[in-house]
Amino acid sequence: MQKSTIQFLLINCFLAIVLISCGSVTKNYTPKKLDKTSYTVPYFTDSKADYVYKTNISVYGNELSGIFIAKKINDTTHRVVFTTEFGNKLMDFEISETDFKVNSIVSELDRKILIHTLKEDFRLLLKKEYQIQEQFENESADIYKSADGKRDNYIFISKKDQKLEKIVHASKTKEKFTLLFNSENNIFAEKIQIIHQNIKLKIDLQQLKSE
Amino acid sequence: MKTKIALLILFISGSLFAQEQKMSAAEIAQFKEDVNVVAKKIKTLSTDFFQYKHLDFLSKDIETSGKMIFKEPALLQWQYKKPYNYSITFKNGKILINDEGKKSAVDIGNSKIFARINKLIVGSVSGNMFDDKEFTISYFKLKGQNLAKFIPKDATLKKYIKQIELTFDKEEATVVQVKLLESSEDYTRIVLKNKVINAKIDDSVFTN
Repeated sequence: MQKSTIQFLLINCFLAIVLISCGSVTKNYTPKKLDKTSYTVPYFTDSKADYVYKTNISVYGNELSGIFIAKKINDTTHRVVFTTEFGNKLMDFEISETDFKVNSIVSELDRKILIHTLKEDFRLLLKKEYQIQEQFENESADIYKSADGKRDNYIFISKKDQKLEKIVHASKTKEKFTLLFNSENNIFAEKIQIIHQNIKLKIDLQQLKSE
Repeated sequence: MKTKIALLILFISGSLFAQEQKMSAAEIAQFKEDVNVVAKKIKTLSTDFFQYKHLDFLSKDIETSGKMIFKEPALLQWQYKKPYNYSITFKNGKILINDEGKKSAVDIGNSKIFARINKLIVGSVSGNMFDDKEFTISYFKLKGQNLAKFIPKDATLKKYIKQIELTFDKEEATVVQVKLLESSEDYTRIVLKNKVINAKIDDSVFTN
């Protein structure tokens, strides 16, 4: 009897831990009344601008550096090119919300899983418009929840200066990857980080200032 | 009307003159000889470089610049100083990188290609680049300059680089511009300026 009580308690404790750790992504956010139904991202939207960044990609302990270039080529599509510092093109994609085209990729990087991951990352990075279904807040930001297929995107707008500072791509229970933005003018993001929570992948983008 | 046609002809012929002209066999031999004579004297070379990355879809070329240092027989370093600090050193078959202080000796994705391009650049200063086993080479004259175009024979290399163009100063017979054309209409153009030949350069420079 005593033994089974202990077992019961242990199972309960275990369940409790599992339930806590599997809690909703929004558990630390406070629900709030919806103040808008859509949000338009200010970055990567100017078709006249060349978005050029010095880039470091850290993947499972390996470092890869180069130049990240994005350009809006029509209403729906961005061209994304990654080159070495020397100028050699490593990959060249065309991305829209619905389409994805690989123009070229060096054979060393031609891996399905890598291309798929980068496609998801860049698509979110370049996404312009979000439909909002729910709203939350924490101490420093208003948080807008936007459905993305089976997953959700959480858009963090700082309370202090109304800048887009973070987008979290998450399943119902887990954060998958996060985009962090630093921007002076809320038009151009000088510094961007793409951090994956479930794989060891981090992409740092730092604006390449022309002299 | 006649004047217009005359002007047009003048303009066309003028632009023809401005364009590159194929070298004759004798001129090719002389050019190779000139480059070889100068290259043989080069023990070290340091030069400023200005790199222009041209991508067809961009409104502006991406500009970077720095210093290139070469020492016989095959020590080569590119130091990017603007707009960021980044150096890449070729030494004993290794590639050493210093990226804003972060050091590594990792082979990057296309390092094989990179090594071959650099072999060509090293070759162009050390005099053994006119080896046509690897490239189909054609030779042209420009105003005050000579131009050699290299088309890779190797299919793998050709996938990344359609053509390499080296422009030489006619008087000095040394490289003043390197242009790497990718398969599309995209290219990297590197202009070399303020060349210093045979200054003392210590081996210890070639590290990350």
